[in-house]
Amino acid sequence: MFGYAGKILRVNLTDEKASEEPLNESTARKFIGGRGLGVKILFDELKRGIDPLGPDNKLVIATGVLTGIPIPGNARHIVMAKSPLTGIWGESSAGGFFGQELKSAGYDAIIIEGRAAKPVYLWLHDGETEVRDASDLWGKLTRDVQRNIIKEVKDDRAVVACIGPAGENLVKFASVFFDFNHVAGRTGMGAVMGSKKLKAIVVRGKQKLKYSNEQKLIDLSLKELANKGENARRGPYWPDALDKYGSNADFIYWQLSGRLPTQNFRMCTFFGHKNLMAETVSATILIRTNTCPYCPIPCNRIVQVHEPYEVDPDYCGPEYETTAALGSFCMNDNLAALAKANELCNKYAMDTISTGVTIAFAMECYEKGLITMKDTEGLDLSWGNPEAIVQLTEKIARRQGIGDLLAEGVRIAAKKIGRGAEEFAMHIKGQEMPMHEGRGKKGHGLSFAISNRGACHLQMESDDLFEETKYPEIGIDETVKADRLYTGPEKVKLVKIVNDLFILYDCLPICRWTVYPCGGRRLEAFAGIINAATGWDVTIGELMTVGERVCNLERVFNIREGITRKDDLLPKRLMEEPLPDGPYKGEVLSKDVLDKMLDYWYELRGWDNKTGIPTREKLEELGLEHAMRQLEQQGLL
Amino acid sequence: MVVQTERKFILSNPQKCLGCFICEFACSAAKEKSTDRILSRIRVVNLEPTGSMAIACILCEDPRCVRSCPQNALRQSDETGAIIVDETRCNGCGWCIGACRFGAIGLNPKKKKVVVCDLCEGEPECVKYCPFEGALTFGTIDDVTHEYRKEAFKKLLKELGGEK
Repeated sequence: MFGYAGKILRVNLTDEKASEEPLNESTARKFIGGRGLGVKILFDELKRGIDPLGPDNKLVIATGVLTGIPIPGNARHIVMAKSPLTGIWGESSAGGFFGQELKSAGYDAIIIEGRAAKPVYLWLHDGETEVRDASDLWGKLTRDVQRNIIKEVKDDRAVVACIGPAGENLVKFASVFFDFNHVAGRTGMGAVMGSKKLKAIVVRGKQKLKYSNEQKLIDLSLKELANKGENARRGPYWPDALDKYGSNADFIYWQLSGRLPTQNFRMCTFFGHKNLMAETVSATILIRTNTCPYCPIPCNRIVQVHEPYEVDPDYCGPEYETTAALGSFCMNDNLAALAKANELCNKYAMDTISTGVTIAFAMECYEKGLITMKDTEGLDLSWGNPEAIVQLTEKIARRQGIGDLLAEGVRIAAKKIGRGAEEFAMHIKGQEMPMHEGRGKKGHGLSFAISNRGACHLQMESDDLFEETKYPEIGIDETVKADRLYTGPEKVKLVKIVNDLFILYDCLPICRWTVYPCGGRRLEAFAGIINAATGWDVTIGELMTVGERVCNLERVFNIREGITRKDDLLPKRLMEEPLPDGPYKGEVLSKDVLDKMLDYWYELRGWDNKTGIPTREKLEELGLEHAMRQLEQQGLL
Repeated sequence: MVVQTERKFILSNPQKCLGCFICEFACSAAKEKSTDRILSRIRVVNLEPTGSMAIACILCEDPRCVRSCPQNALRQSDETGAIIVDETRCNGCGWCIGACRFGAIGLNPKKKKVVVCDLCEGEPECVKYCPFEGALTFGTIDDVTHEYRKEAFKKLLKELGGEK
């Protein structure tokens, strides 16, 4: 098969057996790869109701058709499993060298199953899979693990994916850490690796991929790389924003437009924003930047601090989500403490968004007296206390003291604390909220509620971006309405289109930062590249259907686990408490409005309005008959 | 090993290079019509945690590769200093690869001929596609060191607080 490695590696850690399976070409075309391939495998192989941290869960790391093709943004790979944080579909993507290395080692995806008796790591090279002892590595911090393993395998071009102590301690939002500072942060995939006693996966690939029309692929790729990757840059507005400031360039925009998540969503502007904004970061602690293979946009920040905290430049610096989560969301205006907490999250390998939201939750509990100085062993959890944020981060990673409770994520922590703590646990379906204000951009708000992996900002872009630009090839034309506060059917339609598109991006996979919505790089270009690589004749329409298919299969995965329409919600605070100031003062995304949007959402999606379950017709249309039969057996259809 | 000062060659600045491999692809695409990085005449070293650098032929004077070739297949252009491979003579024995102290000579495994930077007739593709300013320069020693001096000067100014 052209454009793919053509094989999937399956490793059972219980009996330390590895086997190879062919990747069927029709499956590849139906799901493209990445998130699509992962949900296909996990939906088929996981049984309903299994323990996400038990041996029955499986972990899939998948590449896609674009992985390894020399174009900006190709360097993504997706980690998937049933999530221990949400109990439903779990998926997180990362950049860097791992995906490309895995594919040139001969595999489009790895499936890890079972559970090792003692800590192990996998060493994939020259067609061999070794399960090696990792007892010495257990407990080690991420970069130390990488260095030690590279020495052990005696190949400094090998690429390491590993977990840190947070994954070992089964922190529910532990992440997987890849090569030079790339992290698959969300939905607790690190805890799944930890539960399997799998410390790391090391890959070295030497095979060349075969393409159907190599010369055409070269010409198209060179076009993508021309003029310093002009096509992949951020539209005409601010083409070098990511080079200069990384994703944190947005911080000041959200502050000025009154939509910066602050103090656990009680505020929407932050007095300390000047200390945290990208210009300040670049002028003070930034020492260099980094990039992914074939990407001309070095968005990765490397920072160093000496006082009052020692922040190791070996770990990548904070990006936007982190800056808001550990900064404004906790009322912390201390950049050094923020950089330190971020460094600790990377050292121990856990999600910075969930960590920040969890700390903000603890601070609100402290303010309300639900957590006291006694619970925190003398740590003062007043809003914005930098020392508290740094110490709490480490306590969570190590599950020390109150950290043990918080490591469960805000949903479970709130349930255990009780006494109304649920009111300020900012999560959807168990996953902590991302740093975007749904009350001030309602399409994005809707997308949080319907995201298949729980609260997530990556299922749709900010409404603002579509206000002045169009993308008629996929239906973003005059029949949609992007105005940020608008909530009618034309907005829901926009969310649906972008949702399908973004899910497709995770299947290709392609980095979101190189495909700015309505920017220079559109699906037509990707269809051309895919066709040159594979010899297929995919169209934009076929690709968009892949996005829809994957969305539906993920939804059925969640339905199987008990998700219904009543779970498609926002935290109560966003539905009831109005934005307190700024240009959008007074805005909420009320339950009534959300319900109306959801009615139209299910109609557009072809899902049952009462239950939120995909209909027979929709599943048949998308070629998901096996999913339909499972729902029938379960009595849900 | 002295490089003639008037010759232009390709040099990467490890302070600026991010190891993205774009130069490798630009080279193998132009020279071998392939996406295979191993065929590139410029190769990237990502040495963690030291940093990244791309290395191509630096046009040594009295080059060891030419001297070491048992087939007399290599010669150095008088005009540009580039190493020219006579493919009718080269049998891929690899002595020149071993002789080059910079790892700047590779082997095309299919053709069994060695490959080395030919400077793309004065307009190197790798430099053209390199996205990071100052990471890859095509110039004489004086051109390249001038860039380095500018950087040093800027840094000094910043440290003295006099940046404009």
